[in-house]
Amino acid sequence: MDTKAQLNQPIYDVGIKKRMNTLEKMWWLILSAVFILGVYSIIDGFLLQGMSSTNLSNTVPWGGWVAFYIYFIGMSAGSFLLSTLVYGFGMEQYEKIGRSALLSAIVSMITALTFIFLDLGRPDHVFNSVIYWNVTSTMSWEIHFYIVYLILLVTELYLTMRGDLIKLSKTSQGVKSKIYQILVFNKKEMTDIDKGKDRKLLKILGIIGIPLAIFGVHGGTGSIFAVLKARPFLNSGLFPIIFILSALVSGTALAIAIYVIKNKVQKKPIDVTMVKALGGMLALFLVIELGLEWYEFLIGSYGLQHEELATMKLMTTSAWSWSFWLFQMGLAMVFPLTILFVKKTRQSVNWILAAAIMTIVGVVGVRFNMVVPSLIVPQLEGLPQGNYYPNLSEWITTIGLLAMCLLIYTIGEKLLPIEEDETSENGVSQHE
Amino acid sequence: MGLFSKVAPSIKEFGDMVNNILPDGEKELEQSPYDTKLGLDMARDARKVIAGKIKIEDFHKVYSASLISEFGDHFVSGPEVSKDKKYTGPKWGMVIDLKKCIGCDTCTVSCKAENRTPPGMSYNVVLETELGSYPNISVMNLPRPCMQCDKPACVQVCPTRASFKMENGIVAIDNDRCIGCRYCMVACPYGARSYDFGNGYEEEMTGYDEITSPEYGMDRGKRKKGKVPEGTVRKCNFCFHRLERGEEPACVETCIGDARFFGDFNDPNSVVSKLAASPRAFRLKEELGTQPRVVYLR
Repeated sequence: MDTKAQLNQPIYDVGIKKRMNTLEKMWWLILSAVFILGVYSIIDGFLLQGMSSTNLSNTVPWGGWVAFYIYFIGMSAGSFLLSTLVYGFGMEQYEKIGRSALLSAIVSMITALTFIFLDLGRPDHVFNSVIYWNVTSTMSWEIHFYIVYLILLVTELYLTMRGDLIKLSKTSQGVKSKIYQILVFNKKEMTDIDKGKDRKLLKILGIIGIPLAIFGVHGGTGSIFAVLKARPFLNSGLFPIIFILSALVSGTALAIAIYVIKNKVQKKPIDVTMVKALGGMLALFLVIELGLEWYEFLIGSYGLQHEELATMKLMTTSAWSWSFWLFQMGLAMVFPLTILFVKKTRQSVNWILAAAIMTIVGVVGVRFNMVVPSLIVPQLEGLPQGNYYPNLSEWITTIGLLAMCLLIYTIGEKLLPIEEDETSENGVSQHE
Repeated sequence: MGLFSKVAPSIKEFGDMVNNILPDGEKELEQSPYDTKLGLDMARDARKVIAGKIKIEDFHKVYSASLISEFGDHFVSGPEVSKDKKYTGPKWGMVIDLKKCIGCDTCTVSCKAENRTPPGMSYNVVLETELGSYPNISVMNLPRPCMQCDKPACVQVCPTRASFKMENGIVAIDNDRCIGCRYCMVACPYGARSYDFGNGYEEEMTGYDEITSPEYGMDRGKRKKGKVPEGTVRKCNFCFHRLERGEEPACVETCIGDARFFGDFNDPNSVVSKLAASPRAFRLKEELGTQPRVVYLR
C-alpha cells in the first residue's frame, strides 16, 4: 500500500462502512439460522434416531457424510500445502493468502472431523479408536495423524501471527484485549530473539508438516479407500495420489475464492498477478489430475475385472452418471480448465473466480464418486445391488455443518490477525 | 521270453507284478486279533505323514486314544508333549455341498431365528444365480455365511481391534468396543457384515425386543434403543454360543438336504477335513488371499 492509498483510507472507509455492516449482519444471521437448523437435524437424526435417520443401508454403509469428510480433508490438505509455499518455501508472492490458507486448513479439518464423527454408530465408544490402536488399520493411523496434524496446524498459525497478536493485545480494548493477552501468555514485546526462535520453529514445523500432510494425512486418507481389495475400483496404487491431487485442486480453488471474494466484498484492491499465478497453478493441478484419472480408467478397464467394469459403467452410464459427467468431469475438470486455458478468460479475475467456484462445487461430486459407486456394485453375484441418495435429514445436517465451517472461519478472521498487514514488521516478510 | 518279443511291458505292468506278490492288507490284518480298520487307517495316514501331508504330532493325536484302547499296556510310544502352550483345541470350519443345496433358504430362516437379527440383516443368505440361456439353463444356489477367513480383511482394517480372530478360527466382534465406523463392511469381499440400525420386529412380533441376540453367549437383557449391539457391526460367528454348549450352528443343524458340514479342520480325520480334500472343493474369491474357512463342494 502506498502513501496515497493510506491517505485515502479514512474517506474510503466511511462510505462503505454502513453497507459493510448490513452485509455482515446478513452474513451472520443467515449462517446462524442455517447452523441452528443443522443442529436441530443432528439432534433429531443423529442423537435420537441414530443411523436409521440416513439413507444408508447394509449394502451402502458409507454415504454423503463420508464423502463430505474426505471433501474437507482434501480442502485442508490443499490449503495447508498452499500455505507451505509461503512458510516452507518462502514464496513471498503468495504471502497474502498464507495465514488465511492455514486458517482454512484448520477449519476444514474441524469440519471434516465433525462429519466423520456424525457418521459413527457409537459416538460413545469413539475414544476406543485412540486407546486401542490397530497397527494394520489405515483408519486407526489416520485418526492419530489427524490429531497430530491439527495440533501442528494450530501451532503454525499461532507462530505466524504471534507478533501481530502482541500488538493487538496492546491496541485493543476490553474483553478482546484480555483474550489476546492470554493468547500471547502476557508477553509484552516481540524481540529479535523471539522472532528468530519463531522462524526456526516454523521451519522445523514445516519440515515435519509437509511429509505429515502429504503422506500421513492426505495420502493416508486416500489409502483408507485404496487398501480395500474388496472394491477393485478403489484398490489401486494411484488412488491415494489422485486423492492428493484433487486435494491440491480444491485447496487452490478455495484459496482463490476466499481471497477474491473477501477483497471484493471489502472493496479492497486485488493482487491480480497473484490471482493469475494461482489460476495457473490450479490449471496445472487439474491437468495432472486429468492425466492420472486417465491412467486409472485405462488400466482399470484393461483388467476386464467384473466389479471394476461394473463400477465404471455405473459411474458413466447409470442414473447417477450426471454426478460423474456434470460434477467430476464438467465442473471440476473441463469447465475450469477451459477457462484457465483460453487467453481472454485466464486474464480476468472474475473468470478465475468462476473457475475456482466451479471446482469447489465440482469436487463434491469427485468425492461422492470415490465413495458411493464402488459400494453400489455387489461384492458377489446374487447379492443385492445398492441404491443410495442422501435423504433430507442428511442434506440438512450437511448444510448446517457447511454453515458451521463458514461461521468458524469468519470468527477466526474477525478475532485473529489473519490479514497480512503489509506495514507490519512481523510475519512472513521477516522469515525469508 | 522278453528277449525275442517286440512288445515291451509298460511301467504299469511292472507295478502290477509287484502288487501281485504283495499281501492284501485287509486279509492279513483280519487274521490278527486286533482292529483291522484301525490298522488300515494308520497305514494310509502313515503314508501321508511320510509324504509330508500330515504332521507327525497330528498323527499321534488322532490315533493315541484308539491305540491305547486297542493295545493297552503294550502301547508305549506317544505324541511328544510340546512344552510351549500352543493352541491345540479345535479350529472350526464349514463345508457346503452345492450339489446338495436346493436353495430352500432354511439356513437363512433358522439363522435369523437363532441370532434374532433385525430387519434388513441376515448373517446367512443364499445367493441365486441363473446360468446359461434357455433351454440350457441352470440355477446355482450359493449359501453364504461369514467365511471366517484366516486372513480376514475386516480384522485388518478395524481401527479399534474390536474385530478379531479367535483361536478357534472364528472372526468375532467385540460390540462393546466397536465404534460403528463400518470400515469392515466396506472391506469385506463377501458382504458378510451388517450394521445394526436399531430397528426391530416388535410391531409384527410381540416379544422380539424381550431378548437381545444371544451372540457370543452374552446375556444383554432386553433389546433397547441406544443399547449395544445397536450402532455396531454384527456378523455370523458360526453360532459361537451354540458351539460352546456342544451344538452345531443353526444353519448346519436345520439344512434339509444335509448340504452343510461343520467340524474341526485341525483334526485331519474329521468329516470336514476329508471333504475339504476333495477335488470338488473350492473357496470363494481365493485370489484375494483371505483364506476362507468355509469350503464349497461344486
